[in-house]
Amino acid sequence: MIHPLILVSVFIVCSVLGYFIIRNVPSLLHTPLMSGMNALSGVTIVGAIAATGLAFLADKGVVAQIVGCLAIVLAAVNVFGGFGVTHRMLMMFNKKKK
Amino acid sequence: MSVLQIQIIISAVTALLVMAGISMMSKVKTAVAGNLLSALAMLIGVVATLLFAGVVSVWTVYAAILVGALIGGTMARRVQMIQMPQTVALFNGLGGGASALVGILSALRIGFSNAQLAAIDEGGFWPFVQCTALLAVAVGMITLVGSLVAAGKLHRVLPQKPIVWKGHSVCTLIFLVLTVCFVIAGIFVDSGAMGVCLAGTLVAASLFGLWFSVRVGGADMPITISLLNSLSGVAGSIAGMAISDVFLVAVGGIVGASGLLLTQIMCRAMNRSLMSILLGGGKKSAPKQSLTTDSQNEALVKRVMDLEKKIKELEELVKNLEGRVQTLSAQVDAAEAGKDAAAAAKPAAEGPTAASVLSAAKDVIIVPGYGMALAQAQHQVRQLADKLESRGARVRYAIHPVAGRMPGHMNVLLAEADVDYEKLFEMEAINDDFKKTDAVVVIGANDVLNPAARNAEGTPIYGMPVLNVDEAPEVIVCNFDLKPGYAGVENPLYSRGKGVYLELGDAKETLARLIAALG
Repeated sequence: MIHPLILVSVFIVCSVLGYFIIRNVPSLLHTPLMSGMNALSGVTIVGAIAATGLAFLADKGVVAQIVGCLAIVLAAVNVFGGFGVTHRMLMMFNKKKK
Repeated sequence: MSVLQIQIIISAVTALLVMAGISMMSKVKTAVAGNLLSALAMLIGVVATLLFAGVVSVWTVYAAILVGALIGGTMARRVQMIQMPQTVALFNGLGGGASALVGILSALRIGFSNAQLAAIDEGGFWPFVQCTALLAVAVGMITLVGSLVAAGKLHRVLPQKPIVWKGHSVCTLIFLVLTVCFVIAGIFVDSGAMGVCLAGTLVAASLFGLWFSVRVGGADMPITISLLNSLSGVAGSIAGMAISDVFLVAVGGIVGASGLLLTQIMCRAMNRSLMSILLGGGKKSAPKQSLTTDSQNEALVKRVMDLEKKIKELEELVKNLEGRVQTLSAQVDAAEAGKDAAAAAKPAAEGPTAASVLSAAKDVIIVPGYGMALAQAQHQVRQLADKLESRGARVRYAIHPVAGRMPGHMNVLLAEADVDYEKLFEMEAINDDFKKTDAVVVIGANDVLNPAARNAEGTPIYGMPVLNVDEAPEVIVCNFDLKPGYAGVENPLYSRGKGVYLELGDAKETLARLIAALG
C-alpha cells in the first residue's frame, strides 16, 4: 500500500505536466489527440486486471468476478478501439507525405 | 530494493513514456510514432501489473482482455470517419464505466491482496480508500451515462436539441449534491454501511450524468465530449488511488488535465463558459432572462422561447422567399444579358453566377462546417479545390476551432479526402486574408461565420470570434437551407444580396453542379 499523500501528489504533478504538454498541440491535431487521450483513459484496464485477478485468486464470489471481467472487457474495448481509431486518423494525415 | 520500489520506478518510466508519446502528437510527422509509443507504454503497464499484482496465472483475465480487444479492434477498423465523434464518445464512456466498476470492487473491499488489506488496516487508510473508491464510481458513472447520451445524440438516436425537463436546474443540482454527500460519507462509515453509500453514489451520479448531458445541444458537443474525456481520465486516476496503483494515477492525471485544457480552448473559441453549458444558462434566451431562470420563471421563459421560435420560423420563410427572388432575378439578369439562354430555360440552374465568379477567382478560401460532415461532401470539396487549382487559383481552407461536432472534426474529414494539411488554416492565421481574397466558398457552415456575433448583443453567439467571411467581395454559400444554425441567430450575410450567391440544397449535389459548371 502506497501512502495516500504520495498518490495524491503524483496526481497533481502529472496533471500539471499534462497541462503543459498539451498546450503545444495545434488545433489541426485536436481530434487525433482527443482520440489518443481517450485511448489512454482506458488505462483503468490496469486497475481492472489487478482487482479482478485478486478477486479470482481470493475466490471472492461469482458476482465480483463477473463485475471484474466486465470492467476488463470495457476497458479493453476503450484501449484497443481508441488506439486503433487514433492510428487510422493519423495515417490519414500522413498519407500526403509519401 | 523492495518490490514496491521497483514497481514505482517502472510506473514512473511508463508514465514518462506516455508523456513523451503525447508530446510527439503535437507534430503531424511524429504523431503516429507518438500514438504507438503511448500504446507501448500501456502494454508495459499491463504486463507490469500482471506481474506485480501476482495475477499472471488467472487465465480469465486474458480471456476478458481478448474479448475487449476483438470488439474494440473491429470497431476501430469498421467505423467510418463520419462517425468518429460518436465512436470517441462511446469508447470514452466505456473507459469511465470500467473505472466505476473498479471503484465498486474496491468499495466492497474486493480486489485487494491479503497483504494489501493488512497494510490498509495498519496504516488506517480505509477512509481514503472508501472515499476514493466512491469518487471513482461517481465520476465513472457520470462519464459513462454522459458519454452514452452524447454518443446517442451524435448518432441521431436521441434528439440533437437540448432536452429540458421540469425543474431541470434544480434536479441537476440536487443530484450533484447527493453524489458529493454519499462520497463524503464514505470517509466516515464502516464497511457495513458502505453498501448504502455505494448504491446511493451509483444512482445519484448516474442521474446527474443523464440530467446534465440531455441538456447539451448539438453545437456544444465538442466541449461536452472533451470534458467527458477529461472526466474519464480523472475517474481512472481516482480508481488508481483507491487500489494504490501509481501508473494508473499518473496516466489518469495526464489525461484529465489535458482534457480540461482542450475543453478550455473550445470554450474560449465559442465564447461560452463551461458552467453555462453544464447548467444550461445563456441558451436561446437573452442573458438577462437566463440569470433569473429558476423553477418559477422556467415556464415563462419557455413561453417566450416558443414565441421567439415562431418569429424565427416566420423570418425563415421570408428569408427563403428572398432567396428565391434573388435566384430568379439573377436568372432574369442572365437571360437579359443573353449570355446564357440555357440558364433561363432551366429553372434549377442557378450555377452560372456562382460558377463564373469562381472561374475568375485567383484566390479562393473554402469554409467548411458541420453541414459538410452531414452531407459527407468532403470529397466533392476536394474536387472543387482541385478544379480551381488546375485553373491556376490558390485554394486555402479556413477552419474555425469549433466547426463540426468535435475539436478538429473538419481537419479529419478533409484529411480523409486527401486534402494537404498545409492548406488548412486556423482562424487567427487566415482571418485577415478574407478581404484580400477573390471568393469564399462556404460549405455547410453558419454560426462560425455569422457577422451578428460581433454586434448582436444578447444573442448566444455574441462575442464569439467568427471567420470574417463577410469581408470577402464574393461569397458562395453551399448550405442546405437558410435556417439559423444551432445558436438560433439569423445570419445577416445571407440577405446582403450583393456578392452573395446562395447554392442551397445537399452540398454534395450543389458542389457537383458547381464543378460541372466550371467545366
